[in-house]
Amino acid sequence: MGGTFRQSMAWLHTWAGVVIGTLLFAIFWMGTLSVFDREIDRWMMPGTRLAASTQAFSLDRAAAVVGPLLPAGASQWRIDLPTERVPAARFSFRDSAGNPAVRWLDPARYALIPDQETLAATGFLFPFHYRLHLKWMDLGYWLVGFAGMAMLALLFSGVLIHRKIFAELFTFRPHRRLQRSSLDLHNLTGVMCLPFHFIITLSGLIVFVGLYFPQAHLAAYGAGKAAKAAYTAEASGRYTRPAAGAPGRLVSLDGLVDRAEREWGGGRVNFVRVWHPGDADSYVELRRSYAQDLPMNLDQIYFDAGSGAVLHRFAAAPVMGAQRLIAGLHLIQFEHWTLRWLYFLAGLSGCVMIATGFLFWIGARRVRHAQRGLAGVRVVEGLAIGAVTGIVIATLAFFAANRLLPPGASLAGQDRAGLEMAAFYLVWLVTFVHAGWRPAAAWREQAWAIAGLALLCVSLNAVTTGAPLLRPASPALRAVAGVDALLLGLALLAALGARQLGAAPRPTAPVARP
Amino acid sequence: MKQRTPPARWRRRGAVAARVLLVVGAGYACTSALIALAALVLAQVFGLARSEAVVSAAMSGFVLYLAILLWGFAEPRLWRVSAWLAGGAVVGHQLVHWLAPLAAAPIAAAG
Repeated sequence: MGGTFRQSMAWLHTWAGVVIGTLLFAIFWMGTLSVFDREIDRWMMPGTRLAASTQAFSLDRAAAVVGPLLPAGASQWRIDLPTERVPAARFSFRDSAGNPAVRWLDPARYALIPDQETLAATGFLFPFHYRLHLKWMDLGYWLVGFAGMAMLALLFSGVLIHRKIFAELFTFRPHRRLQRSSLDLHNLTGVMCLPFHFIITLSGLIVFVGLYFPQAHLAAYGAGKAAKAAYTAEASGRYTRPAAGAPGRLVSLDGLVDRAEREWGGGRVNFVRVWHPGDADSYVELRRSYAQDLPMNLDQIYFDAGSGAVLHRFAAAPVMGAQRLIAGLHLIQFEHWTLRWLYFLAGLSGCVMIATGFLFWIGARRVRHAQRGLAGVRVVEGLAIGAVTGIVIATLAFFAANRLLPPGASLAGQDRAGLEMAAFYLVWLVTFVHAGWRPAAAWREQAWAIAGLALLCVSLNAVTTGAPLLRPASPALRAVAGVDALLLGLALLAALGARQLGAAPRPTAPVARP
Repeated sequence: MKQRTPPARWRRRGAVAARVLLVVGAGYACTSALIALAALVLAQVFGLARSEAVVSAAMSGFVLYLAILLWGFAEPRLWRVSAWLAGGAVVGHQLVHWLAPLAAAPIAAAG
C-alpha cells in the first residue's frame, strides 16, 4: 500500500498478481482449451469421430437400443440429441444408488459405440476450469471465485496505474531485454483484450451466482431444503413427482419432441430425460436447445410418460433471463465458428498476459532479492514455472496418455480414465520439482519440452488413428484436424518463446517501472 | 544490508496481513449482508417476484464487492475501512433479521 491512490493500486496489482497469478493461469489455460472442448473430445475419443447423420434422429429407435442397458430401479435416463459439434448421441442414466454412467450411440446405425474410457476435455479439462477437481466443501469453487474477484481487481488496478494506456496498444519491443519485452507484451495483451478479460471474468462469476452469494436466497426464502427447493423451482424451473411403485408404459418420444418443437415455434430439443422409467408415474422432461441463441434458455416441458399429457411448462423470468444471457456470454454454447475462434484467441492473450506479468515481476526483483538474500523471487519463480509452462506440459501428457494407453488399462485401482488423470498430475508435479531444481534454465527447458510434446501428440494421433487428411470429410474430422493444427501452432509458439527466453541477457539492474 | 530493523518489518507485515484479511473477509461479509437486504427489499417493498429479486441482488454483489476491494486497498486509514465494512455488515444483517419474518410467511402458508 502506498501513499497516493496510484501507488496503492500499483501495490494491489503487484501483490494480487504475484499471489493469485499461478491459480489464475490454470483457470485461464483450462478455460481457453474449453472453448474447443467438444473438438478436443473428438480427438481424444476416436470412436465418436462420426460423419454427420443425414436422417433425423429417432429417439424411439434409440430408446429401444439403450433400454437393455438400464439397470433395474434406475431413477432417470437421458439422451442428448446429436449436434454439429457432437455427432454422437449421448445416453446417460443414474442407477438406483444415484451413480451416473455414460454411453455413446452412433445416430446413423443406432448402435452403441464401445466405451471410450476417457474423461476427455468435457469431463476433465472443463471441470478443472471451474472447480479445480477439489470437491471437499466446494473448496475448488471458492478458490476459483476468489481468483475471479482478484482478476477483476487486477484488471481495474492495472488500468488505473497506466499513464499512457493508448500508446501501450502499439508498444512491443521484443529485441530489448526480457524484462522490458515482457512488460510490453503484458500491457499489450491486457489493453488489447481488456473488454474481453473483464466480461469473461465477471460473467464467469455470475454463472455461479447462487453459490457465491447464497445469502440472497437465504434471506428471501429462508433456510432449509424446502426453501432451497422453492427457490430452485421458481428461478430455474423444476417439476418433480414421486414414483407410484406400479409398472407403466412410455408413449412415443418422437411424438413428444414434435409437440415440444411446435410449441417452441421451431426451437429444437436439446435433450430428453425420463424420470422413474417403467413406473406408472414416470414423466418425460424435454429441454430446448440453445445452439442458435446467446442466452442459455431454461425452456422446459414435462409430459406424463403414459398419456403424453402436459404436466408443467417453464421459461425464465426477465432477470433470470439476463443471468442466462450473461452465462451464455461465458459458456458460449452457441454454434458460431468466428466468435468461437475469437474467444479462443482472446483467452490465449489472457494466458500470455498472466505469464508475462510473472516474467516481468521476477526479472524486476531478481537482482534486489539476490543482493538481500531474500528467497521471494526463487519461490515465486519456481511456482510460476510449474504453474505456467508446467500445466501446459501436463496437459500435453494427458493427451499423449490418451493416445498411448491401451483399452482396458488399469493399475493400482485406477481405470484407464483415472490413469490419464494420474499422468496429468504426476507430470505436473515433476515440472514443479524441475523448476525448483534448475530455476535459471527451467523456463527455456520447459518451453522446449512443450514444443516437443505437442509434436509428439500430433504424431501419436496420426499413428494410432490414421494419417491426418488434408481435406477432412466431416465436421468431426475437421475438428480433429483443427486440434492437430493448434498443437502444431503451440509447438511453434513454444519454440519461439524458448529462443526468446534463451537469447535475452539477464538484466544487471532493475528497470524503473512506468 | 537491511533497510529496516526486524521489529519494524514484522509490524509492517502485520499491517499488510490485517488489511488483506479485513478487506477480503469483512468486505465479503458486508457485501453479502447488503445484497441479502437488497433481495428482501426488492421483493417486499418493490414487489419484484422473489426469485427475480434474489438474482438481481446477487448479481450486483460482484460489482459491489469489487468496489469494496478497490476502495479498501486505496483508503489509507485502516480504521475507516474497518468502521465502514463492519458497520455495513452489522446493519445489513440486523435489517435482514428484522425484515425476514415478512418473507418467510408465504412459504409457511403454502407448505
